[in-house]
Amino acid sequence: MKSIKQYLILPLMVLFGISPAIKAQSDLQISKVFDLYGEKKGVVMVELTDEMLDGYDFSLFKSLTILNNPSAADFIRKCLSKDEVGAKKVKQVVANGIPTSIYLQLARKGELYRLILFNETLRPEHKITLIYIESKNDSEDVLKLILKKK
Amino acid sequence: MKIRIKNKITFSEADKLIERYYDGLTSADEEKQLRSFLSQSTLPERYKPEQAIFGYFDGKKKKVQFSLRPTIRWASVAAVILASVFIAKLYLTEKQSDYAFIDGKKITNMSEIKSQALASLSDISAKNNEVEDGLKNVNNDELIKKQLDVFSGF
Repeated sequence: MKSIKQYLILPLMVLFGISPAIKAQSDLQISKVFDLYGEKKGVVMVELTDEMLDGYDFSLFKSLTILNNPSAADFIRKCLSKDEVGAKKVKQVVANGIPTSIYLQLARKGELYRLILFNETLRPEHKITLIYIESKNDSEDVLKLILKKK
Repeated sequence: MKIRIKNKITFSEADKLIERYYDGLTSADEEKQLRSFLSQSTLPERYKPEQAIFGYFDGKKKKVQFSLRPTIRWASVAAVILASVFIAKLYLTEKQSDYAFIDGKKITNMSEIKSQALASLSDISAKNNEVEDGLKNVNNDELIKKQLDVFSGF
């Protein structure tokens, strides 16, 4: 009986150990945004893992740029209103009563710091940018680095 | 002189039973009696072949117990292998997740992917001029208010 337990414990441990690390953003509502809009026309979606991107050290980088789709912006805001629960709102810009920029610092997932950056502009064209970042570096440092680089 | 043995079968009776056994005429009870007689260790040499026969059959009659242990062991090995395949597949999938979709078309060229990523980051950092945009909105609102005030006098 002891040897049977030994045979079963190993795969169970590996599975339970691996599963939390799989897609740390899958618990977030914004994952629906990427799934829904990612492959549509007028949309650019990027996903990078463990890549050094121009000095940024991200474990995971996902971005979505949507052109001329106001309903997408409304949907993203609804998702963000749920994801911001328990998160730290680093910055919010409201124009005409509607949040057009939201930067959220989410609760850590294991060793990873997580950020959501949302921006909507109306000029020169209607453009939505949604970015999700996971990094081993402190999210405040990451945010300062992003905002510093222009 | 009759030799009394513990099973109350004499040698001559045992011989008769053995003969009937070889002819296939013994009943279950008679075979039982014979087996019991032959199980003694002090029997003469001439009974050795019969003792061997009954001993052989006794060995054959041992109940084969089904053991679940080998089945569980093999199932565990299969589970370990499946888990390893699953993890390897997952790892490979995760590692190959650098991509971009532009207008629904998948791009795997790394330089293109990185330039798109940097472009999206510049949207966030370049548009950090909310003060300027805020002021523009205020000016627009004031202009509208002034225009509306023109009609409020009527």
